[in-house]
Amino acid sequence: MAESICRTLRDGSLEGEHAPALTIKDTAASPFGFDVFAYVLSQLSSFILAGKSQSRVVVVVAFTRSPSFYVDLLKRRGLDVTSFHKWIQILDCYTDPLGWKGKLVESGNAMCISDEASSVTHLCKDVRDLDNLYSLILELGKGLAGQGKAHFSVAIDSVNEMLRHASLSRVAGLLSNLRSHDQISCIYWLLHSDLHEVRVTSSVEYMSSMVANVEPLNPSASGQRWDSENVSLLKQNFQKGKLNVRFKRRNGRVRLMCEEFHIEQSGINFTPVSSEDGTINQGLLPKVQFSLQLSEKEQTERAKVLLPFEHQGNGKPIQIYDGRRSLEDNKNEATLASTGNLQRNEASGEGEIIYFRDSDDERPDSDEDPDDDLDI
Amino acid sequence: MSATKGRTSSFTRNVLSASSSQTPGIKCGPNGTFFVSSGISDLDKILGGGIPLGSLVMVMEDAEAPHHMLLLRNFMSQGLVQDQPLLYASPSKDPRGFLGTLPCPSSKDDKLRNHDPQQEKGLRIAWQYKKYFGENQQSFDGHRGSKQEFCNDFDLRKPLERHFFSGQRVDCVSVKDSPNLVALQDRCTTFLAQFPRNDGSISSVGRIAIQSLCAPQCTHSNMEWDVLSFISYLKSMLWSANAVAVVTFPPSLLSESFCKRWQHMADILLSVRAIPDDDKELAKLLTGYQDMVGFLNVHKVARTNTQVPLILEATTFSIKLQKRRFLVLECLNQAPIDGSSGASYGTSGSCSGSSKTGTLEF
Repeated sequence: MAESICRTLRDGSLEGEHAPALTIKDTAASPFGFDVFAYVLSQLSSFILAGKSQSRVVVVVAFTRSPSFYVDLLKRRGLDVTSFHKWIQILDCYTDPLGWKGKLVESGNAMCISDEASSVTHLCKDVRDLDNLYSLILELGKGLAGQGKAHFSVAIDSVNEMLRHASLSRVAGLLSNLRSHDQISCIYWLLHSDLHEVRVTSSVEYMSSMVANVEPLNPSASGQRWDSENVSLLKQNFQKGKLNVRFKRRNGRVRLMCEEFHIEQSGINFTPVSSEDGTINQGLLPKVQFSLQLSEKEQTERAKVLLPFEHQGNGKPIQIYDGRRSLEDNKNEATLASTGNLQRNEASGEGEIIYFRDSDDERPDSDEDPDDDLDI
Repeated sequence: MSATKGRTSSFTRNVLSASSSQTPGIKCGPNGTFFVSSGISDLDKILGGGIPLGSLVMVMEDAEAPHHMLLLRNFMSQGLVQDQPLLYASPSKDPRGFLGTLPCPSSKDDKLRNHDPQQEKGLRIAWQYKKYFGENQQSFDGHRGSKQEFCNDFDLRKPLERHFFSGQRVDCVSVKDSPNLVALQDRCTTFLAQFPRNDGSISSVGRIAIQSLCAPQCTHSNMEWDVLSFISYLKSMLWSANAVAVVTFPPSLLSESFCKRWQHMADILLSVRAIPDDDKELAKLLTGYQDMVGFLNVHKVARTNTQVPLILEATTFSIKLQKRRFLVLECLNQAPIDGSSGASYGTSGSCSGSSKTGTLEF
């Protein structure tokens, strides 16, 4: 699934369409969103270098990590540093987002980023001005990719940081402007969904065409007391998780995909999910008035109910079941209710059938037709 | 199929049908109402003939699917083809660009739903028999040439010819950068002033299409009370004009109380929902799942000048694209067959399952 996300972003947008946009969403229960973001960034960068993608340049808008971090990240993935200035630009919103350093007395504060990074970095001093941010992104992208038809992609480190400094409608406006720009081929961003109201998260999802949700493998385990059972489950959550992706396809259908991932020293590894869990959302279809299926619990209870027939069909000698007396077998099996006897039937749960015989005189399965007594 | 028997009782108002025959886009309805077509013939049938003049249609979008755009496109094209002026507002910077995606009416030989004569031979066991009703109706409609002009079949793959939307007939408004809805309100006022409702004949009819009101990128999305007063203003203006309006909005992005208020404002309330792709369970449950692209729910149907409500046999329909060109709405065929899904609206629960649903039972 991570592969298909990267492929969709790599293929970019068609003429006249909005660019595909990916939201990577995570929560504190499984805080690996940044790893997924870094994975997508490095995959797309290698596509760019190999010339396989629609975009030729990537602009990274860095809010939560310094530009040197990204340069090191890409170096570790084996990409050639010397060629960086040809295809990557980093908009540095991390070092001095509100322009405070410029106001400090010791204005000799040099930007503490490495030389390699400085050649591809551009500092942004006011992230509150989203129009300025928009034009900076376009400038960086067009500067490398060139004017005209050449495409570039945009990676936004953290939408949460943008939302700290600007209102939702401004941020949504920026994202939609970026998506509808002709030269932008794809755009992806990270969002920590538990830092905002649901409305904000759903607005950001509304703006995107793919949503990748990072979830813990065992959601019930998180947030509970540390029992011995929970500890092992919790430990699993520290390194593993699930990636649920929802693709919005062009024809209006939604493709749901799921994958497991594992965090290692070298990075993140994706594996197909072990168990297939096909669930359909019953809320989509109108409610049916009948329930024709029995649940498992209901099935076992049904099997346990002892029917008040003359014989139970299990080969034992026929005995008259009399509501007033219990059968002899009852000493060994579950007890049945009788008139004066309030014995609880533990084995068969709550299912009980109370039957009172009409008369004691009837022999079992008698062939007599009671209507024979009538004298017409 | 919906109840469009077309019978008139002796208690309905006698309306001169002369006025409707002069203007092709308008049809006489029961109880002295006039209908305009929504652009989708199946939807017209479901709504009891079309959209009554002066009503406000609201479509609840699904964040995961663009089906509301299909409805809007057909609505707008229908108006343009019948020479009805259009006002279109959208949150994009260049709304005029959307006009290029409007579909063109298909030519007669493209009509797909031809009665297949070969099927008549032999015994047919009609399980889910209601799907076959449409064939009988088609042969009936074919005799009435005037019916074809009321609602066209649109080919979604062919764009509408430019001359339909060039010139003064289409007015486009972008609501993205405006600080509030005052500008849109003024444009609507001037537009609707062209179609005053008198007791005389109807000279022309206007259509308003507002796409994604309260989309997150618009400034007015924070001003919920202002948007609500805009909608009530629009509704009152429509009531004294010969026009209809279709407004789409994303209910999952509104607060629940405002979502409810908006739904109450609508005369006709529809919602569209996305369906999961390649879902084996749904494929087993529904016939024709492969062609479906989404669901349409009808929550409210306008009934003017009457106290008799329109009770639909089914409120959930599947949206299908026949041959990827023609939009059809079909009743859901599932086993066991269930008629209505209850009188609740506001169920914006879609595949995401994360949106809150509010049901209102009357």
